[in-house]
Amino acid sequence: MAGMQNFFGNVGKTKLLSREEEVMLAKRMEEGDESARAHMISANVRLAISIARKFQNQGCNLEDLIQEANIGLIKAVDRFDYKRGFKFSTYGYWWIKQSVMRYITSNSSVLRLPSYTRTTYYKIKEVREKYFEEFDCYPSNEEIADLLGVSVQVITSIQGCLGPTFSLNSSKYGAESGRTMSDVIEDESIEQAEEVIDRGRLLCAIRASLDKLTTREEKIIRLRFGISEDIENHDDFPITKEEINNILEQK
Amino acid sequence: MSMPKGFKSTHGYATVSEIENGLDYRAIAQVMCDEGFQMNHATARNIFLRAMQKIAVSICQIYKLPLNNENISRIAKDPRFQCSIVDLLGEV
Repeated sequence: MAGMQNFFGNVGKTKLLSREEEVMLAKRMEEGDESARAHMISANVRLAISIARKFQNQGCNLEDLIQEANIGLIKAVDRFDYKRGFKFSTYGYWWIKQSVMRYITSNSSVLRLPSYTRTTYYKIKEVREKYFEEFDCYPSNEEIADLLGVSVQVITSIQGCLGPTFSLNSSKYGAESGRTMSDVIEDESIEQAEEVIDRGRLLCAIRASLDKLTTREEKIIRLRFGISEDIENHDDFPITKEEINNILEQK
Repeated sequence: MSMPKGFKSTHGYATVSEIENGLDYRAIAQVMCDEGFQMNHATARNIFLRAMQKIAVSICQIYKLPLNNENISRIAKDPRFQCSIVDLLGEV
């Protein structure tokens, strides 16, 4: 923490550059002057910090974001072309922002998402906020999809991916209870005991009632429901599969 | 005297369109005639419903539902009941 305070304290010591100073430093950098490069970087660290701060509530540490912003700043300084006539901040802003956003994409969540997914998520957030400002209510997923020109399925799946993540081993009801999330999550693949019992009773009842059916009734039920234990056994099932298909085709 | 209002089933009518290899009553009657059981489509339907009623009785007994004719007949005709029976018969 003391290191950070020291860093912030040193940031203000270098003066901001005028346009002419930027051009002069860039020319010196072209000639290979390392001190000019260092000056250009340190004079723009405040820009990097201000951009990093904008992203500090996205699940990443501010110190890490500033580090990434500085990496973006260094890239921008190395690639800056003063001959194009722009101020450095105009050019550097995009490199710093890109560097910070890429870091957030890789590190803010347990799930690794492609950067375009994160970009779409930011767009969704932006659209929601603008819509709320204008209409005082949030848009539906269909409206967001319409405004962004993507499918509703994309919107739904992105919102699902970026929800909060929990560890299955985290304590659900406090550390004293000793119960974890994995203890209380329902296993939907296993049938409930009551359902199994209920189904068993139903099957018994149906078996019993099938014994009471006459031959005619049994044959008709089999024909109506297309049920056959053995399609070749014509005592059970009066017609073959081909005959069924022929009848159905005639209709 | 006003015209009779007729009967409209709450849950629609059972059809075989969603049952694989299921036949309609006319096709059933035709097959049964070939098998030596003379009948028309209406008889085929009546016999089928009678069989469904027999199954419905045993199920009503399990769930302690009223066993009167009206209730049994209503359950037997219900397409939801018939669909469940198709599923369960696969397991019998």
